[in-house]
Amino acid sequence: MTGSVDLADFLPAYLAEAEELLGAAQRHLLAVEASVRRGLAHPRAVRELFRALHTIKGLSAMVDVESIVSIAHWMETSLRHSDRAGGRLPESSVEPLMEGLREIEQRVRQLAAGKPVTPVPAGLLERLEALEAAALGTDPAKPAPVALELDATVSARLSAAEREQLTVGAAGKRAVRLDFIPGAERASSGITINSVRERVAKLAEAVKVLPLSGPAAGGGSLTFVLLLLTDATDDALLEAAGGPPASVRALTAAPAVPAAPIVTTEPELEAVVARVEEEPEEQRRGGGTLRVEVSRLDEALERLAALVVNRSRLTRAVAALTAAGAPTRELTAILQENGRQLRDMRAAIIRLRMVKVADVLERLPLLVRGLRRSTGKAVRLELEVGDAELDKAVADRLLPALVHLVRNAVDHALELPEERRAAGKPEEGLVRLACHGGASGLLELSVTDDGRGVDAEAVARRAGVPVPATSDGLLDVLCRPGFSTRDAATSTSGRGMGMDIVRRITVDQLGGELRLETRPGQGTTFRLRVPLTITLLDALIFECAGLRYAVAVGSVEELIDVDAARLTRPAGASGVVLVERRGSAVPLLSLERLLERGSPDGQRGGTGAKALIVRQRGEPVAFAVDRLLGQQEIVLRPLEDPLVRVPGVAGATDLGDGQPTLVLDLAALGAARSGNGRRERAT
Amino acid sequence: MPEVLVVDDSKVMRDMVVACLRPYPGLTFTHASSGLEAIERLSLQPYDLLVLDLNMPDIGGIEVVEFVRSQDRLRNLPIIIVTTRGDEASRARALAVGANRFMTKPFTPDAILAEARALLEEKRG
Repeated sequence: MTGSVDLADFLPAYLAEAEELLGAAQRHLLAVEASVRRGLAHPRAVRELFRALHTIKGLSAMVDVESIVSIAHWMETSLRHSDRAGGRLPESSVEPLMEGLREIEQRVRQLAAGKPVTPVPAGLLERLEALEAAALGTDPAKPAPVALELDATVSARLSAAEREQLTVGAAGKRAVRLDFIPGAERASSGITINSVRERVAKLAEAVKVLPLSGPAAGGGSLTFVLLLLTDATDDALLEAAGGPPASVRALTAAPAVPAAPIVTTEPELEAVVARVEEEPEEQRRGGGTLRVEVSRLDEALERLAALVVNRSRLTRAVAALTAAGAPTRELTAILQENGRQLRDMRAAIIRLRMVKVADVLERLPLLVRGLRRSTGKAVRLELEVGDAELDKAVADRLLPALVHLVRNAVDHALELPEERRAAGKPEEGLVRLACHGGASGLLELSVTDDGRGVDAEAVARRAGVPVPATSDGLLDVLCRPGFSTRDAATSTSGRGMGMDIVRRITVDQLGGELRLETRPGQGTTFRLRVPLTITLLDALIFECAGLRYAVAVGSVEELIDVDAARLTRPAGASGVVLVERRGSAVPLLSLERLLERGSPDGQRGGTGAKALIVRQRGEPVAFAVDRLLGQQEIVLRPLEDPLVRVPGVAGATDLGDGQPTLVLDLAALGAARSGNGRRERAT
Repeated sequence: MPEVLVVDDSKVMRDMVVACLRPYPGLTFTHASSGLEAIERLSLQPYDLLVLDLNMPDIGGIEVVEFVRSQDRLRNLPIIIVTTRGDEASRARALAVGANRFMTKPFTPDAILAEARALLEEKRG
């Protein structure tokens, strides 16, 4: 029984959780930085950052990644001092902490890629250790003289920092005490301390949560006391705690300052942005969610596809019975019902692959922060993504395009602060990413900046083309491969490099749309429309009569070489060619002819050099092709135009060259043709 | 069937602890993702062993131990602390408030299994 557990088995789970923790750590550090810049403390973010690092450290120790343990340890140590200083952090600490997170992230990536983990870079630990001393030197807090109305048992368990938070915070928000009494009955109806804590997190900031034992209201013996800072009403808080026997009471006497919003000195928008930066984690963490590897969902979809295939066999069998005069009414009804259920099931599984757009974009604030530093531009990023969701497969492909657009907006579109001032604009530039679910399974996204706009003439000059008359025309020029690489001074055009990649992803890969709106001196908006879900499949890519095609790997039973010398043409069966495969003869169909791409003389080709064996009604059929090019994962785009919908063509895909490639459904293609064959035979 | 309550805010860590203790015959496991949830569960149902992380949101492992030892009903519940905070002060503090064992991450599966076995058998008497 010893040695039966190998902690290395937990590596994939470790990687997933480490990624999540790093994401949280980055958010909290950004929130800390935003506070530091306003000269404020942010005790909660400091504490959460500390906790994320602490968990990373512990997990990394269990799976034996020493360099991450060291980095996390020293970051944690410096934060512990900040925590003691009431969540204050010197501004100079932010950068080394960012560096630490980057280094941890890099090592997590190395592990994920199966590469060796590099040792801690020289000097990093020393820099982090030096922060400890710096943090110690920061000014301690000066608590505002507001009295808290707390009984001694609770009061004795508050730290100075917590007390300060409750009293200082009480100027802007109300400090209240919420008592929650847990019970078996309440737990069975889903009201537990975890669920209450989660709901309360949306209404208030919890400064402290304490368990108190002893007789409690409603006959309980345990009370959780939550000390909160909030704008919410007592009723809302009480409801979040599941109603009585929970109770709410104020911790401070009616505030001397009238609760007018004048207290907040920062402009409204900044507060909104700060909220964007600070908000996510409580909503994301918490019960009721499950992390599943995407490959498992794909497996479920594959199993479902097998069921669908089986169902069509069943349908055919029932049709045959009906044709033979058997009483199949009930059977047919059940089959129809079954078809609906399978469709619902497919939709349900696809829903499992949906991820929140907000989660996908969680690294953008960090990106913009880096750009702010490297360009010296003042930038505000606004994310307005609401609750929109997207298939993970789409999200993974789309993210690089969005990153590109945001990067371009900061790098090239936004002016330097002095230039903006001269143009009568606020010094701080704005980049806004918004999205909302549109009609019929499409998501609309926009990336907007208030920069200089695209100078169509400069763009045309650089590309050596006439000035485009429309914004679509301008976009075409911008999206020419390698457009901006001709000139390093892209900033004069307002838009830079890599727009071809953005278009390739949006239009060619995802089958979406990309539009441009730009006004000189006022800014630019890129609008993207992408499908909410896509179908991925592993495909064989091959060439036939000079064109490339793809076919799902799963549908191909075998690949064989076609030896022209060993083909047989049975007498009497006009045009039928048989190829030998392990001792038995298999009909060989000319894909070239099936696709009606035969050369005008009609004589050439037909037998190819290779053949794909596909099963059709249980019988093997060989399709002759010229050359096999390889295997890759493709995005299948259904052909939506009914005029071009052809049996045997499952859809189209982009193999990375910007050209549409047809994805064939060989079984259906063969069936369509052999249907003709059967009719011939019947006559 | 001895019931084990495994408390850690990291799911991977809870899974690891469960995997480590699995070889002990007949154990059943309950997860708690926070110190608060642990206290709630302990107030509602008896357990035979508590495996507890120190660093958790809202209230940490030390406060959970203090709560447990303040309850007559839970006075004899064996507690194993599992933590990254391996310093002497943390160890001394955890043992002082009433934890039975203190394990520092990383630990081996065998080490925690041996501690759990000793505590469960001691408790059974």
